[in-house]
Amino acid sequence: MIEFELNGTQRMLRDALSDLGKNVIRPNSLAWDRKKEIDLDFLRTFYNMSQAMKGDTNPMEDFQEGTSAKRDPTKPVQTNRTAAVGAETLAWADASIMLSLPGAGLGGPPVRASGTPEQKERFFSIFRDMSQELRWGAYGLTEPGAGSDVAAIRTSCRKEGDHYVLNGRKCYITCGGRASWVVIFATVDPKLGRAGHRAFVVEKGTPGFFVGKIEDKLGLRANETAELVLEDCHVPADNLLGGEEKYQTKEGFMTAMKTFDNTRPLVAAMACGIGRAAYEYARDFVKDNYVLGRPIPRYSAIAEKLARVNRGLEAARMLVWKAVWMADHHIPNAKEASMSKAAAGQAAIRACIDSIEICGAHGSLATDHALLEKWFRDIKVYDIFEGTGQIQRVVISKRLLSNLKAF
Amino acid sequence: MISFEPSEDQQLIVSTVAEFAKTTLAPREREFEKARGLPADVRKAAQEMGLAGALVPEALGGQGLGLLTALLINEELAYGSASAVYALPGFGAFFLAALELGSDEQAGALLAPYLAPEAHDRFGAVAWSEKAPNRDGPGFVTTAKKTADGWELVGQKSFIGNARLADTFIVFAQVDAKAGWSGIGAFVVRKDNPGLKVGPRHDTLGLECAEFGEITLESAKVSASDRLDGRGDFTAATLRFFTKYSLLIAARQVGLARSAFDIAREYCDIRKAFGKPIGHFQAIAFTLADRHIDAESARDMCRRAAWAWDAGKDEKLALLWSAQAIAHSHEVAMRCSDDAVQLHGGAGFMRDVIVEKQMRDAKQIALTGATAEQMDQLAAALEIGGPLDPALVLPTPETQAVFT
Repeated sequence: MIEFELNGTQRMLRDALSDLGKNVIRPNSLAWDRKKEIDLDFLRTFYNMSQAMKGDTNPMEDFQEGTSAKRDPTKPVQTNRTAAVGAETLAWADASIMLSLPGAGLGGPPVRASGTPEQKERFFSIFRDMSQELRWGAYGLTEPGAGSDVAAIRTSCRKEGDHYVLNGRKCYITCGGRASWVVIFATVDPKLGRAGHRAFVVEKGTPGFFVGKIEDKLGLRANETAELVLEDCHVPADNLLGGEEKYQTKEGFMTAMKTFDNTRPLVAAMACGIGRAAYEYARDFVKDNYVLGRPIPRYSAIAEKLARVNRGLEAARMLVWKAVWMADHHIPNAKEASMSKAAAGQAAIRACIDSIEICGAHGSLATDHALLEKWFRDIKVYDIFEGTGQIQRVVISKRLLSNLKAF
Repeated sequence: MISFEPSEDQQLIVSTVAEFAKTTLAPREREFEKARGLPADVRKAAQEMGLAGALVPEALGGQGLGLLTALLINEELAYGSASAVYALPGFGAFFLAALELGSDEQAGALLAPYLAPEAHDRFGAVAWSEKAPNRDGPGFVTTAKKTADGWELVGQKSFIGNARLADTFIVFAQVDAKAGWSGIGAFVVRKDNPGLKVGPRHDTLGLECAEFGEITLESAKVSASDRLDGRGDFTAATLRFFTKYSLLIAARQVGLARSAFDIAREYCDIRKAFGKPIGHFQAIAFTLADRHIDAESARDMCRRAAWAWDAGKDEKLALLWSAQAIAHSHEVAMRCSDDAVQLHGGAGFMRDVIVEKQMRDAKQIALTGATAEQMDQLAAALEIGGPLDPALVLPTPETQAVFT
């Protein structure tokens, strides 16, 4: 049956996160943005709260590996739908939190998809009890010379006894500085392209593994983005994700890409959340500050702008819901995941730009209406990370046109 | 639960209608265009499928399948021929107006003649728009004056679908001039009324199957029971009528958009330039990707809105979601059909390919029911709050006149 009703858990999650967002997160949001750090006390409290909701319905599942229940792959689940509702609402409150949550982060999906049972146990177990100390995982693919073209990575790996020796630089790594381990993609030989790729779990403290500079950014400033440096970094062969035999095929590259089918709709959901925050702010600003009782002709133009922003966000949300519904039913959704990401990134950027416009000069003040100014800065990267809007269109069009392997 | 899968019944209906659209409507689109109407055999086939009663509650003699199922049917029909849907019984303005504005008894009596299997030659129509705005103040120029035993209507109405074919009209007229748009009413006028004159057909950009025309009311007398009072709140009922009707139209736009997209995609696969299919150039491929995003998002927005009505959600929410879906679908259909022509290059401009017709149809469909601009104003009014001013939220002919 076609229906669009949140289930009980999803409603509860949405309401709880909305309340928390309004009462706790937003009042702190600007301070965190300015000092480029979310209070660890808050993250710990938030983590403990989310622990109380674990299981199939845990919205942070993809970001907190080790808490998820075993799944029957033939049965539909609600996980992705619930995660989308959670991600949208949390981003509505503050997007940086979502990216800073303790747990495996983006490092989770490749380990879950490709790790051996021993590796899964070893790398996920550290997240099982974080009541004393918060821990993070991370995902290191992008390099200064390889962004969208991930096949072009130059970080090298060569086997030396029971170790691999890695050399190279990774950049724009979310939570890279604080991560206990990072899934690092390297190549045995750049000439081999994707077939030469290997994925390693590199642990903090590994000789030759350093944190480089912590980036200063347009938005999402409370979330850490780091550069990672590998100089003759000796990684135990046991940390090669999936073991040697996994790489007889193109699997290495596919491991990198698989991550995105699950996470793109969530990133899109977050974009919807930020866009909705900005839209609601502008709508309420209009209600509270404009003299709507007077027939001022310009009001209809503002009304139309508000309506267009809102329906753009709703269109994107429908695409998000479709993509996560497919994921929950184990239907391949690479195209739909990219569609949701492409649409949500643009709709939410539009929402943030127009919301400031609607509020006039007030909208750009970094004092009275500072959240609007912050959301405007936060949203831009949603059309960039996890695949730029252009890369999403490459993914989509490859699935629309016949025999299109590459442009 | 969030679910995108149609029920088994809906899947069955959709596949039957899709087959009809594919085998009967799509291949004959140019024939319909030339004939400027839908041939009797096609209307007969549709009537035999029982399409007319899909939307009508069982208690009133229909199948009571609900708005969502009607929406799915409209989308599939329009995938074959959007124009043809305007000449099929069941989903037109008349059905929606009777259901929303009339009492159960009135709606049942009004619709019964059109539900019969042999009723494929019968049409109803809604007369809403007028060619020029009322310069004396808000409201219609056409008036309804109370008489001893009923009402007397005077005026001229335009942009009426099936005007020359209809045997029953629902006519909107000004009852209380002082009350502006809150002072309008709706009346049933039958073809045999001596005060009713049906004017010539409008010559239009597209939608050749729809017989848009006008009527003149010269002291047309109707009985007191011919007034439809909107079940108490006339403005709210009229808004529901336009919104639900426009939502079905939005589904037609989605069907048209999907069809234009599919035709363009196929062309981009086979047309070669510079030694490869044109779809293998990013400028082309990205355009297709964007239009695919458009059509798919519009489709599910429409479905959510229809679901909200069927599920009895808060009326303001159903109105908001509908308004958003309608505005988005109109824009999406225009973009998809425009780009379908564009991607064909010069060939798209020729009448050998159907996309030029889809582009004309999309533009005109966007002016049937409420327009995107009107729906955006409705959505904003709902969001900003306060009372819904009928002058703002109804598609009054003071700004953009609409076809019904």
